[in-house]
Amino acid sequence: MSWNSWKRTAGLQACGLALCLAWQGQLLAAADAPIEPIVVGTPSRIEVFPQQAKLDSTRRTMHLIVSGFYADGAVQDLTSVAEVKSKDEKIARTEGSLVLPAGNGRTEVTVKLGGHELNVPIEVINQDSPDKVSFNYGTLAVLSKQGCNSGACHGSPSGKGGFRMSLRAYDPVLDIDTLVREAFNRRTNLYEPENSLLLRKPLMEVAHGGGRRLKKSDSGYEVLRDWIAQGCQVDPDGAPTCVKLEVYPRERILKRPAHTQQVLALAHFSDGTVRDVTQLAVFSSSDEAVATVDANGLVVSQDRGEAAILVRFLDKIETSSMMFLKEIPGFHWNSPPENNFVDHFVFQKLQQLQILPSELCTDEEFVRRIYLDVIGVLPEPTETAQFLADANPQKRAALIDKLLERPEYAEFWALKWGDLLRIRNVKVSNGGVHKFNRWLVAAFRDNMPYDQFARQLLTAEGSTFVNPPANYFRTATETNDCTETTSQLFLGIRIQCAKCHNHPFERWSQDNYYGIGAFFNRVQRKPGINPEEQVIWVARAGEVTQPRTGKQMQPWLPLTGSADLKGEDDRRSTFADWLVRPDNPFFPKVEVNRIWGHLMGRGIVEPVDDFRDSNPPSSAALIAALADDFAKNGYDRKRVVRNILNSRTYQLSSRKNEFNATDTKYFSHATTRLLAAEQLLDAICRVTSISEKFAGLPAGTRATQLPSPDVESDFLKVFGQPARETACACERSTDSNLSQALQMINGPLVHSKVRDDKNRLRVLVTAGKSNEDIVAELYLAALCRKPSDAETAAATKHITNAGDRFRGLEDVCWALLNANEFLFQH
Amino acid sequence: MPTFPRICLPLCGLVTLVAVATRALAADAPPPVSFSKDIAPLLLKKCQACHGSPEPKGGYQVSNYTLATKAGESEQPSVTPGKPEESELFKLISSTDADTRMPKEADALSAEQIALVQRWIAEGAKYDGADPKAPLASIVPKMAAPDPPQAYRRPVPVTAVAFNADGQELAVSGYHEVTIWNPANGALLRRIKNVGERVQSLAYSPDGALLAVAGGTPGQAGEVKLFKAADGTLVNELGSMGDVAYRAVFNPAGTKLAVAGADRSIRVFDVASGKQEILIEDHADWVVGLAWSPDGAKLASASRDKTSKLFNAANGESLMTYSGQGEQIFSVAFSADGKLIFTAGADKKIHAWNPDDGAKKGEIAGFGREVLGVVTSADKIFSCSADKTVQQHRAEGLKPFKAYPGHTDSVYCVAYHPMTGRVAAGSFSGEVRVWNAEDGAAVATFIAAPGYTPPAPVAAVK
Repeated sequence: MSWNSWKRTAGLQACGLALCLAWQGQLLAAADAPIEPIVVGTPSRIEVFPQQAKLDSTRRTMHLIVSGFYADGAVQDLTSVAEVKSKDEKIARTEGSLVLPAGNGRTEVTVKLGGHELNVPIEVINQDSPDKVSFNYGTLAVLSKQGCNSGACHGSPSGKGGFRMSLRAYDPVLDIDTLVREAFNRRTNLYEPENSLLLRKPLMEVAHGGGRRLKKSDSGYEVLRDWIAQGCQVDPDGAPTCVKLEVYPRERILKRPAHTQQVLALAHFSDGTVRDVTQLAVFSSSDEAVATVDANGLVVSQDRGEAAILVRFLDKIETSSMMFLKEIPGFHWNSPPENNFVDHFVFQKLQQLQILPSELCTDEEFVRRIYLDVIGVLPEPTETAQFLADANPQKRAALIDKLLERPEYAEFWALKWGDLLRIRNVKVSNGGVHKFNRWLVAAFRDNMPYDQFARQLLTAEGSTFVNPPANYFRTATETNDCTETTSQLFLGIRIQCAKCHNHPFERWSQDNYYGIGAFFNRVQRKPGINPEEQVIWVARAGEVTQPRTGKQMQPWLPLTGSADLKGEDDRRSTFADWLVRPDNPFFPKVEVNRIWGHLMGRGIVEPVDDFRDSNPPSSAALIAALADDFAKNGYDRKRVVRNILNSRTYQLSSRKNEFNATDTKYFSHATTRLLAAEQLLDAICRVTSISEKFAGLPAGTRATQLPSPDVESDFLKVFGQPARETACACERSTDSNLSQALQMINGPLVHSKVRDDKNRLRVLVTAGKSNEDIVAELYLAALCRKPSDAETAAATKHITNAGDRFRGLEDVCWALLNANEFLFQH
Repeated sequence: MPTFPRICLPLCGLVTLVAVATRALAADAPPPVSFSKDIAPLLLKKCQACHGSPEPKGGYQVSNYTLATKAGESEQPSVTPGKPEESELFKLISSTDADTRMPKEADALSAEQIALVQRWIAEGAKYDGADPKAPLASIVPKMAAPDPPQAYRRPVPVTAVAFNADGQELAVSGYHEVTIWNPANGALLRRIKNVGERVQSLAYSPDGALLAVAGGTPGQAGEVKLFKAADGTLVNELGSMGDVAYRAVFNPAGTKLAVAGADRSIRVFDVASGKQEILIEDHADWVVGLAWSPDGAKLASASRDKTSKLFNAANGESLMTYSGQGEQIFSVAFSADGKLIFTAGADKKIHAWNPDDGAKKGEIAGFGREVLGVVTSADKIFSCSADKTVQQHRAEGLKPFKAYPGHTDSVYCVAYHPMTGRVAAGSFSGEVRVWNAEDGAAVATFIAAPGYTPPAPVAAVK
């Protein structure tokens, strides 16, 4: 199977999986969420949304959302307890907070609560004849809501049980044929609608592989039945189209006892009408541990924290941002000092959520952490000792500045970008690997502004040997690859799904995908003079055709729209111009987030290159501030790194307290994580002072210096070194597995270095050092700290008892290498 | 709205009737509960959807008596003869706990229904049929199909048309019926009721005496019935299937009827005895097309599994598989000399292939969408397509010959009568069109829905 086809399959599976989870979330929500009785209290005022409503068809209804505002600034959703009454039942009637049409005319609905009273004007028209169900906005919305056309069911490319619909109804033309005419009209019964297979299967009146998906009491049942009874018709030409989805509330902070929120979904149509589509929209929560949402849009808090409630109505997606707070007994904000704006935003959120940050890490922890994060290698014991002994109160900042100027910094960060740019022999040739890597190292060494960095890659032309960034278009061998790679790297958008269909849970459409492609499809590749080289050039013509619609696509930019471009210019320049524009919200964010993720072990948006409404940042203000600082200061990456490293947030200990023990996403403590494969190998080399030999590379080459993973190293592979097949940061595996344990416990690499004749411990023995001194130096080399008295005693006792001094010292060295304190960044 | 208005009522009625009859006839000692008459209909109606094959819920399957009396995953006996209280079947339908009660997430059985099951088990849970492994659907009392609409409120899609022997009558699929029309003027001649919801295939026997009607209720039942062509009397009902029968075709001698359907099977029945002689289960998906070779020795099939297959009609042995279409195949026909097989498919083409070696010999392209039907007669190939066309090609060279215009929706079926030289085709819209093949002139156009009055033109409303 080719890589591309594998990737497609994997992508689909991933989509399917996510959908399954979302679906399950909906099913489970109602059962799992404990809803406590709502205490109305004494709101100082109430608000009703919408403030008026027009019901322009027999099928139209409107939910009224009632909010109570309290003197202390708190707000609570009181929809379920408000008394809602129509002044004229002949015009509008009410069921709970739902307003339904009864007859033409105008009236008001009165909302009473806690001594407050509000009147909502209601206009009702077009009640003389029953309105038809819209195929696009009724039938297909129901099939989407019930999950029928999800990726795991009939929306999969081959359908299920011989019945295939377009994923999330992106192709209504296909769907109408499938539902009505295909299979000799098997699925819909025009004469007796209730007998339609389309209803009887999901009702489980007829065996259905997907189980029960519909109840007769669901509003969706009525929509489907009526649509069939009305003749299974498509919407007439010129019928209004949905132009916008509006959700209410857009954002809300709820503090216990407030713990529920009804979300309203309103669809705005091209004729200016507004329809309540809450019953037809699909709701999901970005964090089910914080808040669940049921199929009707009722959000229930499960814990303190933040969650984005994603509301999808066919191809329109909006989010409602919810924050849930509660009083934590015994919590007291201790006002830790803020080193810079990073701390300001992190601590602000922590204080709000009542999470107490950990203490500052020790100098020993700091020196180890900072070396590994900035230059990828452990400090020499002498460097550690020097830092620990330094009395300068600004020594941490000084060390940060020093490390940023070390050559290893550029090499280590070039390794990270080498992954993303997929630098490998098979992709760019052996010669190309080294040339591209040298370009990257130079870019980091010289701190090339990130906008220039991106522009050089995205607009590169000519020989890949003479102009290494041109390899960008060598690894991306065709237009779709360019689209996907560029979107993920520079916009943080995983747009792959939109290649074959509108993105099932994001706003990206198939048109968007091919619209971005139109910037890159003129890029051409031809052999160079050297057999290993390739020449990238740009043709003067060539357009992208959207495969489903067959339409020629205009180049398209997110948030900007179609770009009107003159015929023969290199469209990539236009893309690059747009990309680095100061107001581009995507470009700086994804890079600062990537840097943050490298340094903190978790992105503010996680995964670091997966920005979407359904995956909100853990602090929108923080990522905005970092991105803003980045863009305003010449896209200086070292500045970003420095800002983060100098923050107290970065320098917090990994030891938790009772108020931050469960926090995993607000950076209240350092995140412990296994060293990356290359860091670990270099660390072993550092402790033993025996370097690793890589075939074809100069002696002494560190793993964190490798230009590509083409060196065959089982050790590196086992510890997650990526094969650089994709531009996804996720390709670097962070999972731990049994092979890793075996490598560390009795693998040949560790064994040979621990036993090597010239290793650190033997040199120390030869130099006449005592066991205590050798143990101390090994601790300093491996853990950047001195051993405790107990540790020294235990180690020296073991060496004495071992009989063979070397064997004993090797055991100590081996034990250190297998200690979590060594294996983990902390 | 009542649940299952049309189908449930006869059933509930039946159960009540049984109960009433029981009391009236022998108040002291009611006759024993019958599995086939009393229990099987209940299991079919209330349990089969979840506990049917192939992956029954809880590992418990009710498809036949043997399975229904076997334990499911719980390994608790579903039925302990004589002891309802030790029978999971009874315990679960009579449970008062909504989470464990069966049927799950649906209305409970009525007290009378539960009592019936209880008494059947108490009486020994006996089987009163011949083969305890016979599918439930085949042992329950046959009920007459619901009546067709007196007058149609709206047209229904036309999925089958067939000329009778002399070409003076055209049989057309209806809703729970077959309607017989005069193809010369579109006048309704007769109606044949007592057929399933959908009629998918109509075939007159070569001698003109019999009309085979195949169809059923989608997803639930398939049926094939033989009627006297002259007066619509039911002659025989040939087996019953778990899903719709899509095709029924007489062999050239008129002695056998081959049937294909959504249960993936092909069956050959002896027309005189009504006995099923051959069962072929060789396709991976619905079989929707079927044709006999002119010598009656072979059968060719068309399936949604994207293949056409050739079988020995005498023993059902598979002879050849044609996979060249690469898409779903809807219809199949032999050339007049039997040397070619034509298959019509979702690839918008008719393929011509050699039954001897399975090699593709040519194709007819140019259709805008799926080709849904293909029939042959001498040198003529007629086809109908979802692209709304009815076309005729020459067998020689597979060249286009003529188009029969007029249909405005997917054309599901086409038929040709050589003696009268008429072509008939029916579409999704419910319209049937008849043409003269000779000059392509329209002979008759009608909506095959007795009593249906088209609405006044929309323009007049405003």
